[in-house]
Amino acid sequence: MTTPAIEFREVTKVYRKRLRGVEVAALTNATFSVFPGEVCAFLGPNGAGKTTSISMLMGFFFADSGDIRVLGYPPGDVRAKCDIGFLPENFAFYKYLTARRLLRFHYALTGRSQENAEQVISEQLSKVKLTEFEKLKIGKYSRGMMQRLGVAQALLHDPKLLVLDEPTSGLDPTGRKDVRDLISALRAAGKTVFLSSHLLSEVEQVCDRVIIISKGRVVQSGRMEELLGAADRVEILASALTEELAARIVEWGGVTSEHDHGVTVVVPVDKKRELAELLWQSGEDVIHILPIRGSLEDLYMRTVGNEGGPS
Amino acid sequence: MKIKTLAFSTLESFLHNRLLLLVLILAICLLTLTLYPLLQAKAHTTGENQQAMASMVLELISQVMAFASGLGTLLAAWGAADGLNSELKSGTVLAVMARPVKRWEFLLGKYLGVMLFMGCYVLVMLALSYAMAGLAGVHLQVSPLVLVLYPLVRYAIYAAIAMFFATLTNTVATMGAVFVIAMGIEFVAPRSPAWMPKLAWLKTALYYVLPSTNLLTEDRFLSLRQAAIKQATWQDHAISLAYGLDFALIIVLFAMWSFHYRTLRKD
Repeated sequence: MTTPAIEFREVTKVYRKRLRGVEVAALTNATFSVFPGEVCAFLGPNGAGKTTSISMLMGFFFADSGDIRVLGYPPGDVRAKCDIGFLPENFAFYKYLTARRLLRFHYALTGRSQENAEQVISEQLSKVKLTEFEKLKIGKYSRGMMQRLGVAQALLHDPKLLVLDEPTSGLDPTGRKDVRDLISALRAAGKTVFLSSHLLSEVEQVCDRVIIISKGRVVQSGRMEELLGAADRVEILASALTEELAARIVEWGGVTSEHDHGVTVVVPVDKKRELAELLWQSGEDVIHILPIRGSLEDLYMRTVGNEGGPS
Repeated sequence: MKIKTLAFSTLESFLHNRLLLLVLILAICLLTLTLYPLLQAKAHTTGENQQAMASMVLELISQVMAFASGLGTLLAAWGAADGLNSELKSGTVLAVMARPVKRWEFLLGKYLGVMLFMGCYVLVMLALSYAMAGLAGVHLQVSPLVLVLYPLVRYAIYAAIAMFFATLTNTVATMGAVFVIAMGIEFVAPRSPAWMPKLAWLKTALYYVLPSTNLLTEDRFLSLRQAAIKQATWQDHAISLAYGLDFALIIVLFAMWSFHYRTLRKD
């Protein structure tokens, strides 16, 4: 069996304010795995425990109980960190440095040979479209530029595993698309990507696996196609609809909407054939029939609803 | 290589710290003011009072350098505390610690960065001592190595203490703790006033626990004349410096241990 790139087993983390005697469970018995080559979305409302989980995964926090493995090693192990690229939420760095000098600093910390450093740095700057700003001090960068620079530093040493905490935060639509394309390219290159995001539609486009966490507990975990399931409804576009048929559709729990080029009907998938035959019998044209799959947003709202923890 | 990168990055961050630079500029302005009495002393030196004036000038230089040295202690402690806490507070530590860097390497890099900065400071102090002595027309009897190594080792102790506390608490509390320790060192020194007999044991205990940084003050050598300089042999210097380095090393090891178990973000 393949060793998971990330593995959480019964992980619990409680924040304690000893002086006030307050205890807040940030993570309770969290268990999930992410396998090599997968792009996994880590979703949940604010305060659900996403950043805590990522911090433990990176070795910044320690779990109270349970076991965490990253690339087969305990969190924070240097052997694992050699193959991890990390983009923290609200990436911050010394404001007096330029982008090139920052990347040079990070490259030196990877412990790799400095021979190709300049070439690698130029490639990364070009990839995130910061080449023309490389001499500008980071303090003068916009939030979007900082985020792109953060992505560049995460990719600097060609890691096997990328941990991205809100990678599209602060980016404009073009920047978001760039990150999406980048994640797709990383998946094509066989990299494992673990990303937390609130942008469900974007996540749905690029991810293979979803983990949804709420109030410190994993409430959904699995491959995207398993969780979203097969289509349970169909959309039928017909040229017109008789009154009798419209009444029947309402009885089935369907929905109709009229527009210039016909009537769109959404009905349960088991009524697809019956409706199509009835339409033909009544002399109407069936222009198209499309299966409607559940969206990640639907799944998320069903699972988490309006829950949220402290931000 | 990684430790060197972190050390130079820390040094660079100090050189870009406006508050630190402002303090240094103010200190230089204050020290410049002392040039006036030095030049006055030189002007009033005659063949008859040459010995007395030289002693007075050396005493003045010693006091000025004691001030600079005290400021250096403050800078070393503050540099170590802020160097670590600012990284934790701003979150810059996260991107660094995501790299294949061990926690002790990170802390040692920060510590050596502070020491590099203090090394620059000590060299400036040394140049200042010689410049002042030159302007006043006197000759410093003490070896430049003493003027470099003594303050460096003393700063190493204070930077280590501050770094240890910085792994536990914020910069303000760290500076408070360092201040209390510095006061404690003064109160338990053998030359300090005697304590109440009932508390004499406490004084002795604290004397053994706290670093004897008084042994490592370099300004006392500045006021020495040729006759007195013979009193301290190189063996004495080596013992004092080894004691100081030993103390600093132990505290740095404590700091590494403490940093190994702390979270890198506020809970």
